[in-house]
Amino acid sequence: MSDGSYLFRGCLIPTRLPYLESSSKYVIDRMGIDAKDLPGASCCVEPIGLKTIAEDTWMVTVARMLAIAERDGRDVLTLCNGCYLSFVEAMHVLRTKERADKVNEVLDQIGLEYKGDVKVRHILDLVHSLGEERLRALVSTDVSMVHVAPHTGCHVLRPSGIGLVEIPYAPRMLADVATWSGARVDHSEEWPECCGGGVSSIDETLSSKMLERVTGRYKGSGANCILTPCPFCFSQFDLRQKEGLPVLYISELLAMAMGAPANVVGLKYHRIRTNF
Amino acid sequence: MRKSRIGADDKPMRFEDERFLMCHQCSQCSGVCPSERQGGINPREIVMRYAAGIADPSDGVLWLCTMCHSCAERCQLDVRPAELISMLRQEGAEKGSCPRSFQEEAKLFMRTGLSFPSTGLTKKIRKEMGLPELVQDARTVEDIALIASKTRLGRVRLE
Ligand code: SF4
Ligand code: SF4
Repeated sequence: MSDGSYLFRGCLIPTRLPYLESSSKYVIDRMGIDAKDLPGASCCVEPIGLKTIAEDTWMVTVARMLAIAERDGRDVLTLCNGCYLSFVEAMHVLRTKERADKVNEVLDQIGLEYKGDVKVRHILDLVHSLGEERLRALVSTDVSMVHVAPHTGCHVLRPSGIGLVEIPYAPRMLADVATWSGARVDHSEEWPECCGGGVSSIDETLSSKMLERVTGRYKGSGANCILTPCPFCFSQFDLRQKEGLPVLYISELLAMAMGAPANVVGLKYHRIRTNF
Repeated sequence: MRKSRIGADDKPMRFEDERFLMCHQCSQCSGVCPSERQGGINPREIVMRYAAGIADPSDGVLWLCTMCHSCAERCQLDVRPAELISMLRQEGAEKGSCPRSFQEEAKLFMRTGLSFPSTGLTKKIRKEMGLPELVQDARTVEDIALIASKTRLGRVRLE
C-alpha cells in the first residue's frame, strides 16, 4: 500500500492552462485524496515530439521521477494523456532488466534508483474507480444542461498491451464519469480518433483538417460541448476550431457538479465560451 | 518536403527490429491513419521502404505523424509503424532533420526541465486563481542537464 499520491501536473497545465490545475486540485481534494505536487518534477518528455527524437532521454527522465515517488512510497497521479502514456510506457519497457540497469547507471549519478514498485494513475482512472455511487454522493449541483461529446484522446487507450487503463475500442470510462456527474452524454466513441494536435506545430493545415473531421462528428451529435481528460486535446479544441463547440476538461465538469465556485473552475479563460 | 526520396541512400540494409519486416502491406494501418487521410504520412509506405532498405531518416514526411498509435492498434501482425517512425526520427534528428518547433522544445527542456515556458499570462492567471507561482528548483534543472548529456537528446543536432 502506498502513502497517498504525488500529483504530476506536467508542463502544459501549469503554464498555459492553470484553470485545469485549479479545478483538478479542487476535485482531488473533494475526493479526499492526499496528492501534493511531485517534488523534482520535470517534463515527462512528451510522447509526440521529444520522446521520438531521444528515447533513452525519455526513459531516464521518467525513471527519475518514478524513483522519487517510489522512494517516498507514493503513487503518481497525472492530469494529461501524454504524461500518462510517457510514465506507463516507460514502466512497461523498463521491465526488461538490461534497460533498467542502463537507466539506473545514470540515475545512480543523481542518487536515485528505479526498482519498478510504483503505480501510475490518470485522473480519469482515479475518478472512474470511485464508482457511480460514491461519485454521485459528491455531486451537489445540477449539470444536466451540459450535453457532452466525450473525446477520450489517444494516449490513455493506445497502444494497447502496455498497461494503459482504457480500452482502444468503444471506451466507456469518460462517458460513465460524465453520466455519474449528472451531465447528458450525446455521442458515443467507437474508434477514438486523434484530434490532430500532435502536428499542429509542424503543419497547421494538416492538423486543422484532422481536427475538423473529429469535431464534425461531435457537432452533429446534439452535444453542446466536447469533454476530454487530455489538456493537449483541450488546447487543440479550444484554440484551433474556427467556429466550434466549447470544450470542458474532465475536472472542470466534475468541479462544477461538486459545486465549486466560478473562480475555481475558470471557464472565463476559455477562448470558446460555454453557453450553459 | 512531402515526397519521400526513393533510393536516396546507399547504405547497406539495417534491420534493427525484425518486427518491421513482418508487414504484408495490407494497408490496414494507412486506412485508419488520421494523417494519411488528409495527405500527410502513409505508415504502410514507411514500413515498405524500411523493409526494402530504402527508408530515409531525413525525410520530412516522418514529422507529419501525430504518434496517435492508430496504425499499431489496427495492424494484425503487430508491426507497430509508429515505433518505426520514431526510430527513423531519432536517426534523422542526429543528422539535423528535427523540425524547428521540436528543436526549440528540446532546448527549453535541456535548459529548464520543462517543455513549455512560463509567460506573463501564466503568472497573471495563476495569481488570479490563487495558485502558487511556478518555480523550477535548481536541482531538477541540474539533473535534467546531466541526463541529457548522457543520452540521445544531447546528441540531437540543433541550429
Ligand atoms: S504495418 Fe501492419 S497494418 Fe500496416 S500494411 Fe503492414 S501488416 Fe498491414
Ligand atoms: S501513429 Fe502516425 S502513422 Fe500511425 S496512425 Fe497515427 S499519425 Fe498515422
